[in-house]
Amino acid sequence: MKLLVCIKQVMESASQLKIHSDGKRLCTFESTRYEMNPYDESAVEEAILIKETVDNTHIDVITVGPSHAEDVLRRALGMGADDGIHIIDNSNDFCPPIRIASWISAFAKDRAYDLILTGIMSNDEMNAQTGPMIARILGWPCATAVIKEDLSSDRKSIAIQREIEGGARDVFDISLPCVLTIQTGINTPRYPSLSKVLRAKKKTFTTIEASQLETLRPEAVLDRLVLPQKTAQGIVLEGSALDKSQTLLDILESKGLL
Amino acid sequence: MTEHIAILVEHDGKKIKPATWELFAFTEHLAKLHPAAIHFIMIGEATRNLAQQLSTQTQCQVIAADIKGADTYHGQIYTDAFTRLLSRYPATYIVASHSTSGMDMIPALSIALNGTCITGVENTDKEDQTLYFTRAVSGGKILARLCAPLASASAPLCLTLSPGAFKPIAPDKNAAPDIIHTAVECRQTAMIYKERLASPSLGSNLTKAEVIVSGGRGIQEEENYALIEALADLFPRSAAGASRPICDYGWAEYSQQVGATGTIVSPKLYIACGISGATQHLEGIRDARFIVAINTDSNAPIMQIADVCIVEDLTEFIPLFMETFQKRKRPAD
Repeated sequence: MKLLVCIKQVMESASQLKIHSDGKRLCTFESTRYEMNPYDESAVEEAILIKETVDNTHIDVITVGPSHAEDVLRRALGMGADDGIHIIDNSNDFCPPIRIASWISAFAKDRAYDLILTGIMSNDEMNAQTGPMIARILGWPCATAVIKEDLSSDRKSIAIQREIEGGARDVFDISLPCVLTIQTGINTPRYPSLSKVLRAKKKTFTTIEASQLETLRPEAVLDRLVLPQKTAQGIVLEGSALDKSQTLLDILESKGLL
Repeated sequence: MTEHIAILVEHDGKKIKPATWELFAFTEHLAKLHPAAIHFIMIGEATRNLAQQLSTQTQCQVIAADIKGADTYHGQIYTDAFTRLLSRYPATYIVASHSTSGMDMIPALSIALNGTCITGVENTDKEDQTLYFTRAVSGGKILARLCAPLASASAPLCLTLSPGAFKPIAPDKNAAPDIIHTAVECRQTAMIYKERLASPSLGSNLTKAEVIVSGGRGIQEEENYALIEALADLFPRSAAGASRPICDYGWAEYSQQVGATGTIVSPKLYIACGISGATQHLEGIRDARFIVAINTDSNAPIMQIADVCIVEDLTEFIPLFMETFQKRKRPAD
């Protein structure tokens, strides 16, 4: 089988967040560290689990991002993916999901993938659009928030459970090729193995300059990033930790919550 | 020609879901900024009664189509049917809930209708004749303000509304119903619905608990979940909960997950420990009556909704609080 996993490099979740003076992006600092979007990491792991059970499975991983985004391709190869494709976009501009989905589907279109996996969303922009958009452009069926998958024995379809409100799951049988967006909890992503990491270091990736790609579809426009207005009505406890614990106890007592 | 705002109705075949009334509240606000007629579009196995109720209550037009298998969400059927209905009854703005179904179909719909897409919208405002839509990014610590300046009936803006962003409005107008019943042909072969499996959180003690103490990523180590349980044990009729990430790590059971994809809780007291407050978690605690947040990050979104904010490391604060609690309790014994 031929699998494509779409992954994104994001700032580590504990990163310092400051809006750039141009209002359209976040500042990067010397301390800024990047990682693979955790949802995408689950998607890579799921692809590797399939590869481990289905002979002759090949996993491509693709990312759109600046030069340093290739680190996530290396990490995916370290985990067990086979090849990496990097659509290089050093423009620093806001890149709406439709543009990313158009580029990735243009790449995937004639390459006979059986399955495209990606995370349900990225934890920085949280759009949850790229996966279902790729499916629509390619005209493939799609399921989002997938928490379990099971390939049929003839490899022509896949049984999936998608998570819905309250944690219930809807079960579908979907014909291949299809797109699945993966919810965390479906697996525990492995750490890259040393031997694979070493091999990944030597690997050259297929690179495509984003500036050469067309963007034909209507796009939402980013006006600016803003900090949420403080609407907090609550009280912030002051003093030493001991003071705070006593005040908290007083408050809970006065509210009859003890 | 009048412009339209279309609400994609969520229902379960018997009742209109509250998410639909949140959409209605949002579109009423939107229609004030951008004058347009609101209409509802719904599909289901048998939509007649619900369509009638909806139109009578809101005095808005309802466009309804009966489709086999459409009482539960099915990605292919819904995307297909709504594409056809919206091509026939176009709208400048198409709104659905940022629910597991809205999120699944709106991106695809935006492409099918040659429109633009903005998901997880929390508010809209108007400046210099342009409508802006605000949505949370980076776990709610930053907001992005976007626009779709060219939105029109032939290139609609398709958006999802973040649950809880607008208070639901369910009017009671008793108007003469205005309904268009129409048929859509849906060819779907690539996706077959099999069944619904119960949530692992079904029957969890969280729904009945009066006090819930929950741990999030801030607990840092699996062992520290014991602190959450110990703190919960101080209170009668209490339960220990967890945010999604630590259930994913396997540090707590999924039955303990509080949030949109876990259990929606309504305790008298909710103590959030090391929980930053991702939207999906906040959705689960909207009905908690009193919220205490313990977090090292004073900018965490949970601090915006907490009644009491404590900026401390929970691994130090919880033992200290428990000690204070025991000391005060002892003389009274």
